[in-house]
Amino acid sequence: MSQTHCLSPVELITEQINDLPLLPNVVHHLLMLMGKENRSVQEVVNLVETDVILTSKVLKVANSAAFSRGQVITSLHRAIVHLGEKMVVGIALGSCSPRIFSQPLEGYESAVGELWDHSLRTAIATREIIRYILHPVSADLAFTAGLLHDVGKAVLSEFLKGNGEYMASCCDSGEVENFLTIERRLSGTDHAEVGCAIARHWNLPEPLCSVIRDHHHPALAPQMDRELVYAVHVADLAAMLGGTGTGIDTLAYKLDSSFDQHLKLEQKELDQLLLAVEEEYGSKKASIFACIEE
Amino acid sequence: MTTVYVGVGELAATNNPNEVIKTMALGSCVGVIVVSPLQKIAGLLHIALPESSINQKLSKLRPGMFADTGIPRLLEAIKQKGYDGKNRLIVKLAGGASIMDPNNTFNIGKRNVLAARKILWAYRLGAMAEDVGLSFSRTVSVDPVSGKVLISSPGRGEWEL
Repeated sequence: MSQTHCLSPVELITEQINDLPLLPNVVHHLLMLMGKENRSVQEVVNLVETDVILTSKVLKVANSAAFSRGQVITSLHRAIVHLGEKMVVGIALGSCSPRIFSQPLEGYESAVGELWDHSLRTAIATREIIRYILHPVSADLAFTAGLLHDVGKAVLSEFLKGNGEYMASCCDSGEVENFLTIERRLSGTDHAEVGCAIARHWNLPEPLCSVIRDHHHPALAPQMDRELVYAVHVADLAAMLGGTGTGIDTLAYKLDSSFDQHLKLEQKELDQLLLAVEEEYGSKKASIFACIEE
Repeated sequence: MTTVYVGVGELAATNNPNEVIKTMALGSCVGVIVVSPLQKIAGLLHIALPESSINQKLSKLRPGMFADTGIPRLLEAIKQKGYDGKNRLIVKLAGGASIMDPNNTFNIGKRNVLAARKILWAYRLGAMAEDVGLSFSRTVSVDPVSGKVLISSPGRGEWEL
């Protein structure tokens, strides 16, 4: 007699991660290149021009009203210098990973585009926050880390569906320390752990894996990546305070009380940071999002 | 029915019976809602921070960003829609949420609420109802005809303030 083995949620999630398409070569190589300190703009240009669609999207965003300042940009090199390499990574990730960024997170009751909005806002906030960090962190890596920190929600969402009211009541009653506890109750894992498994499936650089796994518990991050993880931890919360979250879990996370050992961020600086992020995000989001939606 | 959307640092007022005003996903930001039930005029402001002194240049460009510059503009906006300043004006506040922060370091939501109350008091106005604080985002709308203020949040449905 044959026995049917019912897969546990964690086994099902692992299967889904293994079924995720690998990142396109150009995106993977761009992410690896962003981790290199002594890269040149030409290396980024050489990589982007191997992909016709990405090249056209980069040129389109560079010529959009938010970025062009009235200039017509026809050369890819100029477009990349004009946008900044970080923004190019954002365009590549957003447009080449439709299964991650272009679907609603139904389990979180979050509409299409909200994960991308939250990720972009967190990336901009991370780039601002590293100005206040006590030990230097690469701005390019910080931006990419902010973009990818919540990638696990795209897979975990499916396993939280139908529990909206329960999850909201757990948050509002204060019975849980943060939303990860609720995710673990319902699925046996959480979006940080799932995200890290996706990052490993995509063979992402180790600092990005650390950010994705530890961004809600930055004190647990490996020493060498800890400053970056703290920056994303605070940026993630700042994005949610600014009203850009991913549904039910928005704001349902705890600030690590030792963040001030890594960031010199008093109340005034925090207010200025939130304003700077709001201005930057408001002006850039429409151009980048339009290119991703195509 | 047309929906007029109010973004961060923006405000709107209406006396059009076919319009509602709505603002999405208030986190630590505060929505200030004013309604004249007799004249059927409503206004909504989405403030991000308490005081304009932090960036006076921006406060000139986007006064709605701050409680101290946004609330006077909101009151002007409803006057422009015909509010006579004599009839009863109902004020409500929503938003001002926080993250889970036992040390209260990132208490922007609470500071926004306190600043909004303080500026309203200066105009001899107090909020008749508030739905503020806790750790979730709120979407708010106001209908000038019924005067109803509705709040919704993912997982929590919709309720009247």
